[in-house]
Amino acid sequence: MHGMRGLSVFISDIRNCQNKEQERLRIDKELGNVRNRFKNEKGLTPYEKKKYVWKMLYIFMLGYDVDFGHMEAVSLISAPKYPEKQVGYIVTSCLLNENHDFLRLAINTVRNDIIGRNETFQCLALTMVGNIGGREFAESLAPDVQKLLLSSSCRPLVRKKAALCLLRLYRKNPDVVNVDGWADRMAQLLDERDLGVLTSSMSLLVALVSNNHEAYWSCLPKCVKILDRLARNQDVPQEYTYYGIPSPWLQVKTMRALQYFPTIEDPYTRRTLFEVLQRILMGTDVVKNVNKNNASHAVLFEALALVMHLDAEKEMMSQCVALLGKFIAVREPNIRYLGLENMTRMLMVTDVQDIIKRHQAQIITSLKDPDVSIRRRALDLLYGMCDVTNAKDIVEELLQYLSSADFTMREELSLKAAILAEKFAPDLSWYVDVILQLIDKAGDFISDDIWFRVVQFVTNNDDLQPYAAAKVKEYIDKPAVHETMVKVSAYILGEYSHLLARRPGCSPKEIFSILHEKLPTVSTTTIPILLSAYAKILMHTQPPDQELQSQIWAIFNKYESCIDAEIQQRAVEYLALCQKGAALTDILAEMPKFPERKSSLIKRAEYSEADTAEQSAIKLRAQQQTSNALVVTDQIPANGATSPVSVGQLSLVKVPSLVTTENDTSTDRALSQQNGASSKVDPQPPSADLLSDILGPLAIEGPPGATVQSEHNAVSGLEGDSDAVDGSAIVVVEEQTNTVQPIGNIDERFRALCLKDSGVLYEDPYIQIGIKAEWRGHHGRLVLFLGNKNTAPLISVQAIILPPAQLKVELSLVPDTIPPRAQVQCPLEVVNLRPSRDVAVLDFSYKFGTNMVNVKLRLPAVLNKFLQPIQVSAEEFFPQWRSLSGPPLKLQEVVRGVRPMPLPEMANLLSSFHIMICPGLDPNPNNLVASTTFYSESTRAMLCLVRIETDPADRTQLRMTLSSGDPTLTFELKEFIKEQLISIPTAPRSPAPSAAPPTAQPSPQIPPNDPAAILAGLLS
Amino acid sequence: MIKAVMVINTQGKPRLAKFFEYLPLEKQQELIRNVFGVLCSRPENVSNFVEAESIFGPDSRLVYKHFATLYVIFVFDSSENELAMLDLIQVLVETLDRCFKNVCELDIVFNYSKIHTILDDIICGGQVLETRSTEIMRAVEEISKLEAAPNAITLIPKSSSGWLSR
Repeated sequence: MHGMRGLSVFISDIRNCQNKEQERLRIDKELGNVRNRFKNEKGLTPYEKKKYVWKMLYIFMLGYDVDFGHMEAVSLISAPKYPEKQVGYIVTSCLLNENHDFLRLAINTVRNDIIGRNETFQCLALTMVGNIGGREFAESLAPDVQKLLLSSSCRPLVRKKAALCLLRLYRKNPDVVNVDGWADRMAQLLDERDLGVLTSSMSLLVALVSNNHEAYWSCLPKCVKILDRLARNQDVPQEYTYYGIPSPWLQVKTMRALQYFPTIEDPYTRRTLFEVLQRILMGTDVVKNVNKNNASHAVLFEALALVMHLDAEKEMMSQCVALLGKFIAVREPNIRYLGLENMTRMLMVTDVQDIIKRHQAQIITSLKDPDVSIRRRALDLLYGMCDVTNAKDIVEELLQYLSSADFTMREELSLKAAILAEKFAPDLSWYVDVILQLIDKAGDFISDDIWFRVVQFVTNNDDLQPYAAAKVKEYIDKPAVHETMVKVSAYILGEYSHLLARRPGCSPKEIFSILHEKLPTVSTTTIPILLSAYAKILMHTQPPDQELQSQIWAIFNKYESCIDAEIQQRAVEYLALCQKGAALTDILAEMPKFPERKSSLIKRAEYSEADTAEQSAIKLRAQQQTSNALVVTDQIPANGATSPVSVGQLSLVKVPSLVTTENDTSTDRALSQQNGASSKVDPQPPSADLLSDILGPLAIEGPPGATVQSEHNAVSGLEGDSDAVDGSAIVVVEEQTNTVQPIGNIDERFRALCLKDSGVLYEDPYIQIGIKAEWRGHHGRLVLFLGNKNTAPLISVQAIILPPAQLKVELSLVPDTIPPRAQVQCPLEVVNLRPSRDVAVLDFSYKFGTNMVNVKLRLPAVLNKFLQPIQVSAEEFFPQWRSLSGPPLKLQEVVRGVRPMPLPEMANLLSSFHIMICPGLDPNPNNLVASTTFYSESTRAMLCLVRIETDPADRTQLRMTLSSGDPTLTFELKEFIKEQLISIPTAPRSPAPSAAPPTAQPSPQIPPNDPAAILAGLLS
Repeated sequence: MIKAVMVINTQGKPRLAKFFEYLPLEKQQELIRNVFGVLCSRPENVSNFVEAESIFGPDSRLVYKHFATLYVIFVFDSSENELAMLDLIQVLVETLDRCFKNVCELDIVFNYSKIHTILDDIICGGQVLETRSTEIMRAVEEISKLEAAPNAITLIPKSSSGWLSR
């Protein structure tokens, strides 16, 4: 820096700028100047070049883009003299990324510096490669860097940099840097006396064992020895102690390395380690000096983590909990923070929850800590430790805290309170109380699924209904209520307020006027719910009240011309229904019970942050004990309202007569949706299916808007044509001019059915083919639902299954004729003989009038249906993983062209195929480890283990390792997962079938009994 | 590994920013702004930890220390120990303090090339490299000498390059 006056002047100028604008002007001027000088490089002295490059870095740091001069910076690396070379190296590693083209130009110089005899240059080069070295550096430099690290003639200063440089190259390109045989070398490096080299080598070891601890067992005792040496403070040079603690960094790194080994088998090593750990746990006190505290507790908390990892004896665990209990009450905020965090981790350890519960009062106090970071940790811990015994206390504390909590925490807080209330409610009325309080106190932060869920519970529990109705009435009586409260109140009062009718203030009229008061204050999404409530209140008013009726009809009338289609449709329909008299009672009858389903809230809780330790602990315990109070009845739904695609909707399409009645002049929207299908349908008495439209938003999953839409499709069958033409990958083959086109995308339907067990496989204007499947081990039972949508019979119905070699499929007799508007069920038995990804095909044909329709449909009896998720613990996983050592039982492949997705999404994808993520087994957070059981006749139940290593810097590639006891299974499962991960180009759109000449039928070209060929035809 | 080291003054101006995983400039600036936004609202006498995942994405942690007009911030992933990172901040600051005899913000502003040299001696590729501030000091002083007499460097044979000896 000496003598760079120009630079100092420039910095002073920038500092003197009064505002951002001035600063920008000054910087633009400087950039212009530098750019000009670089253009006429001839006259530039090395000193000037250096000065300008420093200026560039300074400007860059201030946040201004410097899009030139990179070449000059890189070229300084080749300068013969130290000062220029140093600037070149430093600035290059700040400005350029590893893939920058200019870096390639420097590789030779860098290599010369590394293998040269000048240690100063060696250090500069190693530092830069250690910071930004990419693939090409790894390819050309890794062996040289390895040599430096191992060289005995090299001094520690160079060797420790070489270790970290190698680490970077290895981490970025594990496929390029060859570490075969490194176990011995690492073990040798761990004997190093110099603590600097040892620290770097330990970092390198952590990277190596995190990838494959198998190869490095020989390093384990050495790590214990190093730890022993440091912790006992044996011959550690004074300069390597920090506030009296022997290099806390090395101690911490060593204990981290040990955590990558699943267990320590050698009794001597284990005993030595536990002695050291015991010494650390017991010998650490909180002292006055903050820095000393931080250092000693860094070691202590790492020791705690290692103890937890090693699953020590209960006595030692209790000791740890006791220590943590002490920590969460100390004055030092850092230690309080880490105490809470580690207690949350501790929840994973079995048998200590009860000891942790003793500290509940202190943890609740931490919820009021002045430090938001500590409050968050306290919230996480309370959430994790909650169970049926303490749910009431904890949730009530959370509710209380909600009013004073930071804005940033409220959403998380209310979600967590809702989840806990649901999971651990001692009784249902308490649960209702909690959710209503949440909505009242933090309405803005209550997502829809929270109030959907409470409605679901109330609907399914008759005893709860009057209570809930009375409760919401209390809330809605208040002058200012949150809109979400209006929604939930409107729904519950609409359904159940008649149960309160005898109570004072609860007559239909009064309920209506309380609700109607809110209408002017709510948004368009709430109005439809209010309208439904009015209709229901009206229906329940017995004997009819003329005044109320005219009031409500007037409202419907008013909204008949509403611009919002949802509101308009409801107004129109309700008005028409009301005029139908008795029919109203049928249609507006009480909602049927919801089928039992997993709470979307709890699902959310499980999948979000699925890979953090805390979450997995919670998940684990959630499986162990949940409240019995909230078992939703498992009554089969009476209609399709509750599950957007259930078999229920396969009941024949019934279009409510009111839509097509002549007196409905304002139903433009509804009428315009009619297509050929519905116009053929005779008016039918309105069916209960309409309810699913009316109450659409109550389907619990998915945003309400989308749900309404899809349900509307499903029920009325009117809108299907919008996407019917698009993307159908399969050409419908027919004998005569094709007028039949599938509704919906066959390919998408198939893919959806690969993930779930019931839904629509195929639909066209005449027929709907639904499927419902049950899988047990290697057996499957499917039922095909063939529904004739017309008033005329479908004849010449034929269904032939073309099974692939690995499946035995038996289809029961399919009737030749399907009567008008009838549905026939055809059971289908499937036996999985051996692993394969081949797919069975259903060759289906029928005749309607003169139209012969023939479709070939893939059946969703795919590989993943024979998988069952299984949670494998570390003790089960690692021996199995080790015992299957290589091909063909264990296969590894680097997959490129992966559809980029965040890790949790990939985890979800795997779970959806019944491949269960085992969180915590792989310490590297960028990796996924998963397990599943595959069932087939030949393999029986067979455990499959999966490991996916991703590169956060490049989401388009990953490395996948699969193992199982059967080579075909390993291969097929690997290919299967690969297919799901890589981005498949969308299937080309089939030519418009009507354009195809009738003679050019694809079907004759396909040998009728060769499923593989048919499949090839389907997929081409 | 350590993902980033930042020094920001209490007005929000970056004084040093080094990212060990490449990020485009705008992203770097956005992160600096966001970190400052969180830190400037924190009272005194609270912990040195701040929730970082909302800023840096999953698997990131942040520790910081507040000195007079400066915040020193380390961002890292779960493979590092939080308190050890805090210790490393202390090493960095103590080294600067020795180097500049009672370091202040101005020293850092006008000597940022030296700061880079010091940082490169403490952290390499996001890993702890050296923790003895005396040793780092010695290296930096030697570099200053080399800068002052640039011609000398090529003459120093490997065996006698004085500043390298322990």
